[in-house]
Amino acid sequence: LWTWGEARVCIVKDPYEVLGVARAATQDEIRKTYRRLAKKLHPDINPGDKAGEAKFKEISAAYDLLSDEDKRRRFDAGEIDATGAERPRDRRFYKDFAGGDGAAYDNRSGFADFAEADDLFADLLRRQRRARGADLRFTLAVDFLDAVNGATKRVAMPGGSQLEVTIPPGIEHGETLWLGGKGGAPAGEGEAGDVLIRISVKPHKFFVREGDDIHLELPITLKEAVLGARIRAPTPTGPVVLTVPKGANTGAILRLKGKGVPRNGGRGDQLVKLKVMLPDPPDAQLEAFIAAWTPAVEDDPRKGMQG
Amino acid sequence: MILNREQFIAQANLDQATLEIWIEEEWLVPGGDSAQQTFSEVDLARAQLIRDLMDDLGVNREGVGVVLRLVDQVHGLRGALADILELNRAR
Repeated sequence: LWTWGEARVCIVKDPYEVLGVARAATQDEIRKTYRRLAKKLHPDINPGDKAGEAKFKEISAAYDLLSDEDKRRRFDAGEIDATGAERPRDRRFYKDFAGGDGAAYDNRSGFADFAEADDLFADLLRRQRRARGADLRFTLAVDFLDAVNGATKRVAMPGGSQLEVTIPPGIEHGETLWLGGKGGAPAGEGEAGDVLIRISVKPHKFFVREGDDIHLELPITLKEAVLGARIRAPTPTGPVVLTVPKGANTGAILRLKGKGVPRNGGRGDQLVKLKVMLPDPPDAQLEAFIAAWTPAVEDDPRKGMQG
Repeated sequence: MILNREQFIAQANLDQATLEIWIEEEWLVPGGDSAQQTFSEVDLARAQLIRDLMDDLGVNREGVGVVLRLVDQVHGLRGALADILELNRAR
């Protein structure tokens, strides 16, 4: 795909200021100044330096204008403004291809000496890009409970083959699974590429994950709240019976130890937040009872909100 | 995008003799075979880099090969580092 990705550079600054040369500077001085700056800022000599790259585009555009005697004369005479220097400078630099599939010139001999000491480096070194097949990257949407409990999924690959993907228990949204050697076939005798699967976890109807804990808002009846009860509550591994203490209020949190997301051999917790619900539809008997009820102690649940 | 030799010369704004020297020096390594060389957008960007090195950065012909070799090694190291970081994330 051939795209000129970078934003166009639109120079509005004074090109003399950008290059830092006097208005009376000779062409030779301008060229020398540009060369001095370009040596420091050229994006291919400084891959990864975003600020330097932006600056390089500025000085290149300024140099385009000032190195052209005719343009420079017209700029000095006020016939064109600095935007006269605007050009499709949004070229792709060599560095923009580095590490991609087309990085034919990728050279990893620079740390061959590390490879003797470290398997990881030896492995990386073997990834001679030219000989390897392409890495395949895609995103896999996973049900909430499959992400918590783990699962095995069959995924159709380009070319029609099926890939079995084991989703480890507890995987998080945005994590990447790396399946070495399951990617594209190599052009020659090199090894196959890898498959990189980014996991996108679908939200659940009532479970919410935070770290290794599962949060659940659990509605209870007024009667269960007032009198306490043993009720069934869903967890990712199936329902459990939990005890609602007498007088449990909306917002009270019950912790179910070890019912959360698996981690390092153990599991996080499930936090159940109670929510007291009045009967729906309204109960005439309850209404009559409350109307006749005079609390022994006057309660003000908003007492903390005064002022 | 795959270019043949003629298309590449036009897009990279080169002439036949210059391209021949660059290939001889192994600054550019075309694909295909000797009868039908092919070039990619990577080669195009690399040709622009070579031109910048010689025209603007004052690198002479001997120096270009050295610079390209070092640049490629920097990219190799950056690629390896990116692989390690990704591997680390994936685990």
